[in-house]
Amino acid sequence: MTTVTVRGLSKHYGSRTALHSVDLTINGGVTGLLGPNGAGKSTLLRCLATALAPDGGSIRVSGFDPSVPAQRTEARRRIGYLPQNPGLYPNFTAYDLLDYVAVLKEITATRRRRAEVRRVLDEVELTDRAKTKVRKLSGGMRQRLGLAQALLGDPALVILDEPTVGLDPEQRMLFRALISRLGEHRTVLLSTHQTEDVGALCERVVVMSGGRVIFEGSPRELAGVADGQVWLAEDPPKGNSAYWRNADGLYRTIGQRPSGAEATRPSIEDGYLMLLGTAAVAEVIR
Amino acid sequence: MTVEWHIDVELRDQYERGDLDPNRVMAVEAHMLACAFCRGEIQVDFTWLTGNFSIVYDSIHAPKASPAQRLMTRLGLPEHRFRLLTATPALRWSWLAATIAVLGLAVAAAMLFWAGAGDDASALFLILAPILPVIAVSGAYGPAVDRMHEITSTTPAAGPPLVLWRATSVISIATVTAAVAGLLLPGPGLLAAGWLLPALVLCTGTLALATVLSLPVAAGVLGLVWLTGVFGVYWAQQDVFVSSAFGPPAQFGYLAVAAVAASVLFLRRSRFDVRER
Repeated sequence: MTTVTVRGLSKHYGSRTALHSVDLTINGGVTGLLGPNGAGKSTLLRCLATALAPDGGSIRVSGFDPSVPAQRTEARRRIGYLPQNPGLYPNFTAYDLLDYVAVLKEITATRRRRAEVRRVLDEVELTDRAKTKVRKLSGGMRQRLGLAQALLGDPALVILDEPTVGLDPEQRMLFRALISRLGEHRTVLLSTHQTEDVGALCERVVVMSGGRVIFEGSPRELAGVADGQVWLAEDPPKGNSAYWRNADGLYRTIGQRPSGAEATRPSIEDGYLMLLGTAAVAEVIR
Repeated sequence: MTVEWHIDVELRDQYERGDLDPNRVMAVEAHMLACAFCRGEIQVDFTWLTGNFSIVYDSIHAPKASPAQRLMTRLGLPEHRFRLLTATPALRWSWLAATIAVLGLAVAAAMLFWAGAGDDASALFLILAPILPVIAVSGAYGPAVDRMHEITSTTPAAGPPLVLWRATSVISIATVTAAVAGLLLPGPGLLAAGWLLPALVLCTGTLALATVLSLPVAAGVLGLVWLTGVFGVYWAQQDVFVSSAFGPPAQFGYLAVAAVAASVLFLRRSRFDVRER
């Protein structure tokens, strides 16, 4: 399994700090990257994918340093990347697009390239859509095609930037199944807003906020952050605490115990919100 | 693939007896590839089946070789290289823009020549023609021209190999078009070739400068430097402009500068920092 090591990584856009001395080690399996908008998730993934040059710190992908040009190419041979906006050429067929990316990934022999295109189409369950143009594919199919291009060349590290955004529940389930299979033999780094994705897929979770890593651990440990601080009450809590009404008609709140409330088992989302504070809770409720 | 239906007994028997027409045989075999259950029901050689399916599948779905590809392959360009150069929509636009610009310029120069402005027509053609390949090169790579650049830039082919291959292909198209247009249309005649070395200087210079700046900025800077310099000479020595800026001594100078730029490009080839900053 590929190991990714990040030490003191920083990135600035003008006066704004997108990454603030990030330290991270990622081993095999699926690692989820959680955080609100502007937390620095995409910037971190783009640095790891070698699309973006960091301002400081170091990255190692299987021991290769992307800041050194020759090693950058070696690192790229081990990376498959699905960006948030992949920009797949709309007038290409699924087969043509994968064939083109396969050439970019140095799969030059025609027979081997075609076998590889068939393999990834099969892996993402798009074999019967090979002749369909990208613009005619549904959103979910397009995302799966994006995943297929990332899998060309069988990379050891797969980086997925919010792949489940905008997918309907059925497509999201299908995508989850694919990612889960990928994690059996590869290192998968998955950025997401969805705590359900993390709970369903990830062995490990990293939470980012304000360009910093504020949590690293298992999903269970993340839920444990809110242990003894999640409450259910029959009446809306008084004061400024954030709360929402659940499906049972009870009011769920995080933090101080409202009067008459009973403690309940925290979820990953509770732990996540607890870490991020009241601003994130307000964002969720809004 | 997940399969939710299976081959019925009658169809299976017909397949095993060899009573099916080729189209239905192909359909049954395509199904069996995706359906472990049906493979278990019928005696088939899975390796043979997979091989046949792959051939049929590729013949239907794989991109067909165009006459241009067949020609280039015969001339020695590998198939995957042709694919790399022709597949990108951004590059096609870059080629088209360069070709239209060169042809437009050649026609404009010819019209000026016919209108009696012979020297001015030659000067216009010689001043502007070297810029066009540079513009084409600047449009050959980068996020501004390629919607899939985010993916492209993280593949092993990204960086020097891709930039140089794309730049070479665009320069070749622009140069051949301009050379043919310059020779066929009435105007400066053989002097039409006088812009080729300045174009080489600007293209190699742009690529060398792109090891420090982004490709479009490098192209803009050198294009501006060229236009400023050459128009300066034009205003200072209007009567002898063509011979002083494009005559043999000047051509030797361009050759020397192009050699220096090519050396810089070679030495700094690993510095093409195509990553976003």
